[in-house]
Amino acid sequence: MDSEISNFETEMNRGFLQILVLALLEKDMYGYAMVRTIRDLGYEVEENTLYPLLRRLEKNGWVKSKWDVGEDRPRKFYGITDAGRGLRTELLGIWRKQDQILKQLTEEKNHV
Amino acid sequence: MFEKLEAYLEEISHFLSGREEREEILAEIRSHILEKAEQEYGQAMEASLGKVIAAYGPARRVAEKYMDGRQIIAPAYNRYLFRYTALLFAFHFVLTIAAVVFKKSFLMFPFVYVPSMGPFEALFYLPTAFLFDLGAVTLVLYLITQSKKDVKLPWPKFSVDIDEVKPSGRTIGRIIGLIAMMALTSVALYFYIRYRTIFFVNLDFSQHRSIFTSEAGQWFSLILIGLWAISTISLAIKLVASSPWVDAVEKALSLVLIGLAFRQPFDTALAAPLPETPNRIFKLSLTITLLVICIFIAVDFIKALIRIGRKRLAQYKY
Repeated sequence: MDSEISNFETEMNRGFLQILVLALLEKDMYGYAMVRTIRDLGYEVEENTLYPLLRRLEKNGWVKSKWDVGEDRPRKFYGITDAGRGLRTELLGIWRKQDQILKQLTEEKNHV
Repeated sequence: MFEKLEAYLEEISHFLSGREEREEILAEIRSHILEKAEQEYGQAMEASLGKVIAAYGPARRVAEKYMDGRQIIAPAYNRYLFRYTALLFAFHFVLTIAAVVFKKSFLMFPFVYVPSMGPFEALFYLPTAFLFDLGAVTLVLYLITQSKKDVKLPWPKFSVDIDEVKPSGRTIGRIIGLIAMMALTSVALYFYIRYRTIFFVNLDFSQHRSIFTSEAGQWFSLILIGLWAISTISLAIKLVASSPWVDAVEKALSLVLIGLAFRQPFDTALAAPLPETPNRIFKLSLTITLLVICIFIAVDFIKALIRIGRKRLAQYKY
């Protein structure tokens, strides 16, 4: 049962993580800083999931990246693009609608 | 240079394709692991790196996350893989039988070549042909998947839907079959031990006469007893464990045994030699009978292989 819930959670997280990353990247950030910020917000993200996701978003033009080699260690910084902002708005709209439907359903159930 | 980290990155790189992309991915993972070790454990050392690497996950799983959505064959084509392989193999099978019966080679441009061969060689040729057919169909479906085009492939219908074959037989039927086969095999074995053959012209065992010569009689008797014994063992196993592997192994061994039957020259096998024409007819009838049995067993063998393939695919689906 626990593993089934974990599977569902992974499925749900996939969509949520995309919105979360697009929301987070309004300010340029590198991977490890994103993991820390997300953890500080009370949510856990697997590091090995975050980087492939960033890669897919970049391939589709929703985020852009740049290596910063100025400091002691090279870091790859990510930032959102205009297309990414457009996508974020769309996704947030979908998420709000889904949330509204679920609220409506659960409220109806409580009234019955 | 940290040994653990470099070994880990090297392992990940084995699973990634595309040189440029691979370098970039590895550089980013390296940067992340070093940074995390420093931030969370004070400094990057072999011990702290070991912990960070363990938390990052097994190399293969890490690499697979970069391949999400990149399939070798699109799931929609999975059924086509079996359907087309079965069709191509059926074609190959018919040509192989023709090559054995007519002792001729067949070349179908561009890639089907069936050399002239004996029945025994055919038994070794057919599994190779099956693997070739499976590989050829896989390659075509792979290329279609990679092209990312919506290709509508034809769907040939069979009168018997070979890829929807379900394991047959109920327990009670199997028990009856097992008892019958055990009795048959035991009786045959008893006759073989007593008379060195199980093929008789008359049923008067005090003055028994064998159909075949002593050598041929022993050879054919052992093969037939072997076939019944394999069938008995298979039925017994299927009572406790139902697996398509049991059928596959049973059919493969049966094909090998029937192939061994061809090693005995048929024209000198009879104890009482026949005149030339009836002897030729006898030889031809025996060859055709054995080949027909081979076809039936081979069809069951292919069905078992298809069931194994379908079972494996179902395991990978979710």
